[in-house]
Amino acid sequence: MNVIETDNLTKYYDRLCAVDAISLSVGHEIFGLLGPNGSGKTTTMRMLTTLLRPDAGDAWISGHHVVNEAREVRNRLSYVPQEMAVDINLTGRENVALFAHLYGVENVKDRVDEMLGLMLLSQRADDLVKTYSGGMRRRLELAQALVHEPEVLFLDEPTIGLDVAARKNIWEHITALRDKGMTIFVNTHYMDEADRACDRVGIIDRGRLIAVDTPGNLKDRIQDDVITVRVSGKFDGRIDADVRYMGQVDDELMFTAGKGSEAVPRLAEALTGKGMKVHAISVREATLDDVFLRLVTSKTDEEGRFDGHGFRLMLRRR
Amino acid sequence: MKRLVYYLQRDLTRWLRRKIAVISALITPAAWLIFVGLTLPTTFTDNYLDFITPGILVMSMLGTSLQGGSLLMFDKILGFLNKFLALPAPRETILFGKILFITIRGLIQTTVILILAFLLGASMYDPLTLMATYIILFLFGVLFSSLSTTLALQLDDHDSYAAVNAMVSMPLFFTSTALMPYNVMPAWLRVIAHLNPVSYAIDAIRMLGTDIIPWANLLGLAVAAVIVLLICIRRFRRVTV
Repeated sequence: MNVIETDNLTKYYDRLCAVDAISLSVGHEIFGLLGPNGSGKTTTMRMLTTLLRPDAGDAWISGHHVVNEAREVRNRLSYVPQEMAVDINLTGRENVALFAHLYGVENVKDRVDEMLGLMLLSQRADDLVKTYSGGMRRRLELAQALVHEPEVLFLDEPTIGLDVAARKNIWEHITALRDKGMTIFVNTHYMDEADRACDRVGIIDRGRLIAVDTPGNLKDRIQDDVITVRVSGKFDGRIDADVRYMGQVDDELMFTAGKGSEAVPRLAEALTGKGMKVHAISVREATLDDVFLRLVTSKTDEEGRFDGHGFRLMLRRR
Repeated sequence: MKRLVYYLQRDLTRWLRRKIAVISALITPAAWLIFVGLTLPTTFTDNYLDFITPGILVMSMLGTSLQGGSLLMFDKILGFLNKFLALPAPRETILFGKILFITIRGLIQTTVILILAFLLGASMYDPLTLMATYIILFLFGVLFSSLSTTLALQLDDHDSYAAVNAMVSMPLFFTSTALMPYNVMPAWLRVIAHLNPVSYAIDAIRMLGTDIIPWANLLGLAVAAVIVLLICIRRFRRVTV
């Protein structure tokens, strides 16, 4: 059995199905669960960390069942929620010592020193946390989470609200932990960060897991270039050019083509021929964003609804 | 049990470092002692300060206990509760730590008020009376901090919680025997005062002064505290599973 296993894990909020029969297997790796806000990432993580009881299905952490053996499960994991919950009127050292005591760690003093050192906080350990930057607070939370040497680390949006340097730094720490043999399960909606740092990612949308693979393999599913066209006028979805229509977000149409730059002139002609005005065209290689858009759109074709606005919001948050 | 102490220590340190919160918690009861205890022209007693001190002690405990529910609420809103719930320690420890902290914080405040009352001229309590006073205040604190914590878990919204607190705290105080004994009350108030749990605690402390051990009041407060605490535990388990 793998470190994290789920079998048809399901959670309802009243009649809304927040998590819909997710089956996953995660080993010693950084696994990223990607999806827009409200897609079920946090609910999934709360079930895995024993904070929510699943309505159906099962999950195991290191072979222990999350409902029947909750105590065993909690002994093996650490959970860092997305709200930065550190006591600002305590010092960094006091914050970490609290968790060391609560976990019942032996040699609290040494262990706390070690964790503060690992997270590069030794110099500021005796300052009140209210003087810490966002990145330092996040590292302090990692120090708290690591104090009992967990087998699995659950991080919900670990880089939210941090500047570019601090984000990079947090991911470096996460990668170093993976190299030491820890399993790390991350929720994020930052596709570019997941692309760089995660060994595998799962894409979740409206509670359903729609793809699980390495970022490289997912991007290979879109071998083509992505062409984005800003237009005015209504587009009916049919195009007489050697491109594939992916979807529309606000006034931007997205297409894919084998050789993007060569397809552009015909595409522009065809759109103009349909009576639309083309304002701008750009060509780039596929990213995880495009993978997400395609997976969600192709599903949406069956169901006939796609929240383009929500997706755009998600992209803007970067 | 050890873990309960660590939760308690966290809250105590946080509270004591916010000096303004500590000071403000003492100002209101001190004002009552000075501006009411020393000035009110009463006819039913020669030493109104002696009479009102138990009332002010219980009032401080009531105020701080009723506010205390917001502690768990903020831990929940700010994400601390989820971190604590993901720890292997028994989850009820979180709740017991809170209720104990609220009660101990109240006892620290009442100690300062008691010292102030003695300095202002109230008659000193003998050691036995002092100890029994602390037991009564402790039971009263557990009763009302469990009540406010249950309320906070139930309402799950700080504005509604603060509104309910404001609504109940004043009437509870003024319909008790804090300011006057039963025999000078209007008949309708006397009935309410007899039903008010705040009176039980105040009467109990006053009885100690007349060398009566208030067994019935002690038992009543203990039973009430246990019942409300059990309801609170149940509510906590429902919210946190």
